Amino acid sequence: MKFLVVLACKNLTRYKRRTIITAVTIAIGLMLFILIDSILIGVDRESVRNLKWYETSSVRIMATGYWEDRLMLPLDVSIDDPYAKVQLLREHGYDATPRIMFAADLILYSEDFGEDGNLPVQVTAVDTTLDNTVFRFEDTLLEGRFAESGKNELVIGSWMAEDLQAKVGYWVTLVTRGNGGFFEAMDMQIVGIVNCPNPNVNRSLLMVPIDTVADYLAMENLATEIDIALPESADTDVEAQAITRLMAESGKGTTVMTWKDLAGDYLAMMQAERGGSSTMLFLVFLIAAVGISNTMLMVINERTRELGMMRALGMDDRSIHWLFMLEAGGIGLLGSSIGVALGMLANIYIVQEGLDFGFFMREMDMAYRVQSIFRGAWSLRSILTTFFSGIFLSMLVAWIPTRRAIRMDIPSCLRHQ
Amino acid sequence: MIQVQNVIRNYKAGETVVKALKGVSLDIGDGEFLSIAGPSGSGKTTLLNLIGCIDALDGGEITIEGQPVSGMDKKTKTEFRRNNLGFIFQTYNLIPVLSAYENVSFVLSILNIPEKEIEERTMRILKEVGLEGMEHRRPDRLSGGQQQRIAIARALVKNPKIVLADEPTANLDSKTGEEILKLMKEMNRKYHTTFIFSTHDSMVMDYAARLVLLHDGQIVSDERR
Repeated sequence: MKFLVVLACKNLTRYKRRTIITAVTIAIGLMLFILIDSILIGVDRESVRNLKWYETSSVRIMATGYWEDRLMLPLDVSIDDPYAKVQLLREHGYDATPRIMFAADLILYSEDFGEDGNLPVQVTAVDTTLDNTVFRFEDTLLEGRFAESGKNELVIGSWMAEDLQAKVGYWVTLVTRGNGGFFEAMDMQIVGIVNCPNPNVNRSLLMVPIDTVADYLAMENLATEIDIALPESADTDVEAQAITRLMAESGKGTTVMTWKDLAGDYLAMMQAERGGSSTMLFLVFLIAAVGISNTMLMVINERTRELGMMRALGMDDRSIHWLFMLEAGGIGLLGSSIGVALGMLANIYIVQEGLDFGFFMREMDMAYRVQSIFRGAWSLRSILTTFFSGIFLSMLVAWIPTRRAIRMDIPSCLRHQ
Repeated sequence: MIQVQNVIRNYKAGETVVKALKGVSLDIGDGEFLSIAGPSGSGKTTLLNLIGCIDALDGGEITIEGQPVSGMDKKTKTEFRRNNLGFIFQTYNLIPVLSAYENVSFVLSILNIPEKEIEERTMRILKEVGLEGMEHRRPDRLSGGQQQRIAIARALVKNPKIVLADEPTANLDSKTGEEILKLMKEMNRKYHTTFIFSTHDSMVMDYAARLVLLHDGQIVSDERR
């Protein structure tokens, strides 16, 4: 085996240019793999964080049956006495806040907006004190201030404000149906514009004080949801089970769901996008594999006589297989080392600075909850897998051309020109 | 030691079948220095390949040291060659990236011989073939004659019973060729190794202790000198 390793290493220097070109092909493939994988992992992690911080929270309690009708945003399927439940949760160490979600028509006036208009919107009524213990809007204010408790004030997402050309101080009317089906109109003044890292929120957020709308909508002491924040290290499923037990003790009629249930659509889309990316990465690997396979074919073709000599002198097929696989592995090792080194170097920039896809994200919804900068993330497991895959795949693709050469009879090998 | 009995070997060249050997029979004893001679296409290399267990018989039998070759499977033939046979090729077939020392010692490496013994035997044989002090040179820094000396050392280092040499001097000038033949003869005398070599060169034939002439796949003369 020692001889095989020595010979394989020496043979790598025999065709220096070819070895380098093949190694560079592998290196480019692996570098791209590391970078794309890093961005995918980074964007995924940031999306999940932004989902929890600005959209779904970690765990949500809803009235039983609400989830099935969620697209209608029903007010009559609501949680009774939400503050008692919030208090109970807080006593058990959970940060929780009640919210009311409702559908409305947003009426715009020509005095402020230049022309009259209306559009259907989803409004989030929040507890102005508790909401910031669960969600992270506190530092996202772009302009103005947050709505104050009991006032007819509204905070709007930055992209929505941009689309509507809305400014702080403008008045709008929310026309909706209250709990029981009656029509209600609420005049609201825009007091703040928020710009958070979650593009979905910036695109659609309309936030009002919960006590203000509770009066209008006959939702006093009712909420459509209670949102709970969990620490990053917490096991969401385990905590959700604990919260379910807690809610069951405090009365019937609630359902507990984790962010994974709430963002099922997002996760499905992420999985599909991951599938697409994996196909691309597979193609990158395939190109590298074709490169090394071609190199090995040339190497074996050029060394057929040498192969014949070694076989004539009694080297067995297994050793010859190993010899060429070690050579291919050597090229793979070189390519993997360069690829991983370059990939890690480039990844420093991707992790720290990121790539700005703001122009892209503003115009289209890609499901990612990242507003503009796509930052990568370090994944030791991924880098190690890439490194060893590069070597292993290189060895694997050398198997077939070697096998073909071994099948040739020795006299033909020795006659080979 | 070697019994070649009515050996037949045919090759397909497109649609036609070329009869390379048409019932060749030959007995070769221990320590012979035998030349198989004949014009191109007479079947010399084919006969050497069959004795060297690197080609398959179509008919007849070859028995080496009492072992019939036709009964050996691929693995057994490989082991047999590894343990008993040495080869010298017309074009030397040295590994260009290895030094003279490594080109010789690898034969012992595949026999799993301890490192110290490999070094000892390799250095000794290199000295015997006149390559002392050139152990670290690669083939491209050696003359044709020196390269063939490495090939002889490689063939002899494992103390094989038989050395098969296919036109060992064909790529050398006559003076160097003669030196190589003298060396082979010396090794034959010293180690009592059976040397079987093919040639179509009359000077080479003169060195043989026994000359077997082949023509059109048949033995036309078998002369001991």
